[in-house]
Amino acid sequence: MGKKKKVILPPQLPPELKEDEIEVSDEDVQFVKENREYAGFVSKLDTQSITRHVTRVANKKEEEIEALYEKRIRKNRSLEKENEEDGVQVDPVDALPVKTLDGKLYYRTMAKESRKPEDAPKEDDNENAMSNEDNKAAKSIVKLTKAERRAKLKKSKKEAKKQEKELTKTEELQTNPQAEVLAEVKEEISAEEAFAMKKCKLAELGMALLADPESNIKFLKEMLQISKDEDHNIVKLGLLSLLAVFKDIIPGYRIRLPTEKEQEMTVSKAVRKTRYYESTLLSSYKAYLQKLIALEKQPSFQHVAVRCICALLDAVPHFNFSDNLLVAVVKNISSFDDVIRKLCCATVKSLFANEGKHGGEATGHAVHLIADHVKVHDCQLHPDSIEVFLSLTFAEDLGRSELSKDAGDVKGKKNKRKKNAEELKNMQVSDRKKSRQELLAKTRAEVHADLKAVSFAPDIEERRRMQSETLSAVFQTYFRILKHTLQPTSIRSKVNASSVPGGFGAHPLLAPCLDGLGKFSHLIDLDFMGDLMNCLKKLACGGSSSDDSPENCLTVSERLRCCIVAFKVMRSNLDALNVDLNEFYVQLYNLLLEYRPNRADQGEVLAEALKTLLCEGRQHDMQRAAAFIKRLCTFSLCFGSAEAMAALVTLRHLLQKNVKCRNLLENDVGGGSLSGLVAKYQPYAMDPNLSGALASVLWELSLLSKHYHPSVSTLASSISNMGTGHSQAYLSTVYPQQAFADLLIEKESFDIKKNLGTLSRKMKSLRRSSKSSCDTCIEYNTKLETDDEIKQKLSNHFIVLKGIAENERLRKELNRTVSSLKLYEEYKKQKRKTQGDHSKARKKKRLSSV
Amino acid sequence: MRPLDEKETTAVFEKLFKFTGNNLKNIVESPSHEGPDDKPGHYCFRLQKNKVYYVSEALVKRATNIDRNKLVSLGTCIGKFTKGGSFHLTIQCLNLLAVNAKHKVWLKPTSEMSFLYGNHVLKGGLGRITENTAAGDGVVVFSMSDVPLGFGIAAKSTQDCRKLDPNGIVVLHQADIGEYLRMEDDL
Repeated sequence: MGKKKKVILPPQLPPELKEDEIEVSDEDVQFVKENREYAGFVSKLDTQSITRHVTRVANKKEEEIEALYEKRIRKNRSLEKENEEDGVQVDPVDALPVKTLDGKLYYRTMAKESRKPEDAPKEDDNENAMSNEDNKAAKSIVKLTKAERRAKLKKSKKEAKKQEKELTKTEELQTNPQAEVLAEVKEEISAEEAFAMKKCKLAELGMALLADPESNIKFLKEMLQISKDEDHNIVKLGLLSLLAVFKDIIPGYRIRLPTEKEQEMTVSKAVRKTRYYESTLLSSYKAYLQKLIALEKQPSFQHVAVRCICALLDAVPHFNFSDNLLVAVVKNISSFDDVIRKLCCATVKSLFANEGKHGGEATGHAVHLIADHVKVHDCQLHPDSIEVFLSLTFAEDLGRSELSKDAGDVKGKKNKRKKNAEELKNMQVSDRKKSRQELLAKTRAEVHADLKAVSFAPDIEERRRMQSETLSAVFQTYFRILKHTLQPTSIRSKVNASSVPGGFGAHPLLAPCLDGLGKFSHLIDLDFMGDLMNCLKKLACGGSSSDDSPENCLTVSERLRCCIVAFKVMRSNLDALNVDLNEFYVQLYNLLLEYRPNRADQGEVLAEALKTLLCEGRQHDMQRAAAFIKRLCTFSLCFGSAEAMAALVTLRHLLQKNVKCRNLLENDVGGGSLSGLVAKYQPYAMDPNLSGALASVLWELSLLSKHYHPSVSTLASSISNMGTGHSQAYLSTVYPQQAFADLLIEKESFDIKKNLGTLSRKMKSLRRSSKSSCDTCIEYNTKLETDDEIKQKLSNHFIVLKGIAENERLRKELNRTVSSLKLYEEYKKQKRKTQGDHSKARKKKRLSSV
Repeated sequence: MRPLDEKETTAVFEKLFKFTGNNLKNIVESPSHEGPDDKPGHYCFRLQKNKVYYVSEALVKRATNIDRNKLVSLGTCIGKFTKGGSFHLTIQCLNLLAVNAKHKVWLKPTSEMSFLYGNHVLKGGLGRITENTAAGDGVVVFSMSDVPLGFGIAAKSTQDCRKLDPNGIVVLHQADIGEYLRMEDDL
């Protein structure tokens, strides 16, 4: 702290030096005279500050605290100075003492009460105030809490020291002059100063409250008053600082106001003081909440109000009025504003996670509220609002312990009966002994009851009841969503037209609802199971099949999820009975055909479905397994390497389990008695049991073994060797999900590096052997994924074309030259002939002439 | 030998529908490759001496050559009409039902024998059961290795089966392949 003092002091020194300068500076005057412009400019500014410095320094320099205050004020003033010069000129003199008076008074009273112990903390308080102020300017709550922590430490110390000393008198002393001064100042100072002042005021009040809430509880009302200001920033700051204060001073119990009867009774001073404290706290808290809830409806304050509400609910869910807070939070849980929604969801989640804070009451309440919310909004909410249910936890031991206890009781009763019988037999047991036993039992029961009343742990039965209520509300919501999804669009659209047009898609809540059902499937009552399965089955069939409007249909991944959830529900309740969910297998069989990787159908969901339905199932019909094997094989031909890998892993799993299905790996077409009545493979059959897949051959595997992706091709070839090879030591620990994820990750790196190499190699071989088989061509085409490859291919193609064209041109030229040469030769011959004729003629002529 | 009249047809189809549901269509429409024709014919139902036969059309044509009194059997016998006029499925139709069955029950290996001696299926012997079987539905009984063993009527729905004690009856026995030995003469 000493260090800090020194750090703060130095700025004060320059004014002292200035005083000296004023006396001595003749040369300076000269200088000023020479350049008047400077002087005029300087004089205006300097006179004010200098006078102020002088007065201040002269009056009260002894106290360092004041120096701090001065500095702070000076800052504000210097800002203002530039705006108003003459008008304020009087003010500083007035305002400064006022300010100092304010501080002085405030601190003097504090100091009077306990000078010695408080000297150091006071300094600290001041620093806190300063830091608080800064923080508020930055509107950060985090730093506030830091300051609070420090304050808390102090508070505990102080409270121990001087709880009895302070009475309400001091408060009155403080508040009255403050109010007067406040009134005076308000008239005079401008808005900006008022803003700064209010900020300081808030900080001071907050600090005082934190320092000693018991005696300063009245300040709460004052702070509330400040936060009713017209200035938005002040309101926000007020709300936030009140939040910080409340978070700190709210006790760990629920306040119960005394009844009239209790009030009439005479009580000790201490009790009266506590009552006063509690009632003030409660009333101001109530006022604060009312204000928050009112402000939450105004768009400009919504963020701040919601943040305050969420923070309060998070910090003090046990306190009075938490129900109102919950209502406000749940109302905003599916807000269109991302920030508000996230805040609310996080709060509700933390409420669910930290049940110890409020004993589980708030959880049940929140769940009920959300359920009602969903009901009112007709399931048109943001998915986040239902996703919070996922963080609910239900202790399963509660029921069990109860059961075991019951069992114990029964045993005990039996024992007692035996004992009674024995006692009846031995009637000669003395009465004294008997009475003593009774007394013992009686006292034991009393002690037990007392212990129960005192113990903090809530009653097990009570907790069980609350949990079951919560659970029923959760499932009620889930079933409502499922039912709503089942409704045909025609009905729903009517309802929607009247309500808010939700921008959340057709079934926004279905996905989180299914997730939740999967998570809590072990808690569903068996009586609901039938209905639930029926619901899921209809959904898996694609919603209502009656009208095929596109918006009514669920997406493939949603339908796949329905299948997965159905299996999860069945499996987690599968204690005694092994139920075969044929319908869902049929759905999966058909959904495989509808899957499109580029239509936002999630491959992960598909992989999960393959895993839960096909890999984890215990047994399958031979027919069904064969149908799935065939379809998966065909499927993996048509899609990317990741999907193909997932399908192939599943396929291998199925083949390992169903030895008979390895007939599919033989080259001969099976069929006949093996494939039952359906003698021919029917690829378009809707029911896997009727597809007759056993009559087909897995020719796809040989194509897949030429797959461009090395791991797919190796897996395919290993599967095709399964029929002949007798080594059954396959490691089938890999699940389709994992395989899918692996290849997805690998895909990026793979596509760039390896693919190019293999492609170019293959292209070379292709070019060399002009007669390429059809299937390699198909394979070749599927692999061209990037633009570069396509470019390369096209350029190659055009080079060949160009070559051919060139060849033709050359050949034509050759032909032409050849023909021209021939022509020339002929011409020559003819010429020679004619020449010969001519010469002959000439000779003849010559001869004749001669 | 004659085609079934309307009343008889409804009786037969109702019984089959109980076991196969919508797959009944497959039974009626499945093509037959018997006979010299290249074009596949269909199967039809014929009544001969109170027994109902599932016969291909090609065979029916040929069977007309034989005197009604001397014709012992043709095609697959699937059931018979009792003196009271009701229709009962017999074990010979098991293959037809097994392929198209809607509700199935798989028996544990230990309780297979009991079923093949003509006893009902108890819950203790139940290996697996199709989901949402309702009480009164026709159920085809399989061994764990998917060999059809017989058929019967579900006594309890799947949901009720969960709560049933191990000695409760799940499937009421109607026919099983043990009858080929036990009742060789009657069949």
